[in-house]
Amino acid sequence: MNLTPLHEEHLKLNARMVDFAGWELPVMYTSILDEHAATRTKAGIFDVSHMGEILVRGRGAERLLRRLVPTSMDRVRPGRGMYTCLCNERGGVVDDIFIFMKGADDYYLVVNAATTGKDLAWIRAHNDTGALVEDVSSATAKIDIQGPRAREIVVRVLGDGGIAGLERFHFLDIPYGGGSMMVSQSGYTGEHGYELFPAAAHSVRLWCDLVEAGRDLGLKPAGLGARDTLRLEAAYSLYGHEISDDISPVEAGIGWFVNSADGYIGRDVLVGHKSGGAPRELICVELTGRGVPRDGCEVYAGDAKIGVMTSAGYSPTLKKGIGLVLARRGAAAPGSQLQVSIRGSLVDARAVQRPFYRYHA
Amino acid sequence: MSQIPDDIRYTKDHEWVRMDGDFIAVCGITDHAQEMLTDIVFVELPEAGIEFSRGERVATVESVKAVSNIYAPVSGKVIEVNTALENAPELVNSDPYGEGWIFKLEVKSALELESLLDAAAYAAHVEAE
Repeated sequence: MNLTPLHEEHLKLNARMVDFAGWELPVMYTSILDEHAATRTKAGIFDVSHMGEILVRGRGAERLLRRLVPTSMDRVRPGRGMYTCLCNERGGVVDDIFIFMKGADDYYLVVNAATTGKDLAWIRAHNDTGALVEDVSSATAKIDIQGPRAREIVVRVLGDGGIAGLERFHFLDIPYGGGSMMVSQSGYTGEHGYELFPAAAHSVRLWCDLVEAGRDLGLKPAGLGARDTLRLEAAYSLYGHEISDDISPVEAGIGWFVNSADGYIGRDVLVGHKSGGAPRELICVELTGRGVPRDGCEVYAGDAKIGVMTSAGYSPTLKKGIGLVLARRGAAAPGSQLQVSIRGSLVDARAVQRPFYRYHA
Repeated sequence: MSQIPDDIRYTKDHEWVRMDGDFIAVCGITDHAQEMLTDIVFVELPEAGIEFSRGERVATVESVKAVSNIYAPVSGKVIEVNTALENAPELVNSDPYGEGWIFKLEVKSALELESLLDAAAYAAHVEAE
């Protein structure tokens, strides 16, 4: 089992630990509902050091990425990050990733933990430009701090130095612990906040300083349980659920980032999907009847099965069951009456606009 | 340490039974069970009038992350359900042995009650798990 550099801190806080993709991580400290509410109304701090970080640098780096992602590399500039994915030839998703541009031919990729090895193999297999590809995951921790008070807490610990003024998806490298640390204004909760990338060796100090600095502002350590309910409300994709090797980003409703004019892998399929050829689409469904939908629940319009829930559960903010549904395209517009099969019973539901919870700047 | 009152009986599935007279069994889940589940957000209640054999699924309790089936601790007919849980499932967390009761069974055979655990036996079971 892999442990993050913050493992001891979680044990000190009496976290309930679970196995997630081979990592022992906190699913909750006290209560998923409390941690969710703290993040929405005050702030939550998350250890996501399991996530992978890959450097793609040197001559040929930009050219390599132009071949690998469906998003135009002209959209990213030094000091900015962008959300995109690695696509396979069938338009499916190898992984969804963040690309931070440090400078010309100098990129920092943030990838999912379970897919880090697969991503590295994919990038290296397609590396015919001679770019340097380096996995720095184990040397890098990752601490997300999210919520309306996140800015104040981060500035208390790290000083302003430009952090308070960072725009969404912009980042800075600041001096920390004798080296440098990337601070990005981004996250996976639907709240304003930051993703911090300290060296593993300095992460315990940073975590403890943030927890202490945020105590009087209502900051709570939050586990994977709250991370999942928060991202589900914001309708953010989770790899292996909404997107996978067999689901295209267009089908998953993130086709807005398919905009590259380069000859990237999977382009023919994705362009076809974007021009109306996608067989499926991801829709948002909320229960109007009683119950809690779960991943894998089937969804019906009348007698016809239209799709399956890729992620579902109880929404602490809306106080009802919600789910993302990979549905036959056009089968259910927002407002459509649907039914969800839960333990063999059909529960009333309806299609709603995406997302369930709008980004809270 | 979770609370395990002396005056009621238990199952190994972490349910409790309080006899109300000779034939009415009030049933719920234990303090230990609600601690394990944490935030309970939904309780699926049975319909009154349905008969269950011991061990059949009667109700379902769901937390944010987990789904837990509640089985009939003894055979009997459901005569009442705690409809307060429809709007306040968190009562199972805050008062598992009181306002968080789930259903009442009209017991068929008082003999079945003898197979239930007393507080000491249940405490030992929790300890061993």
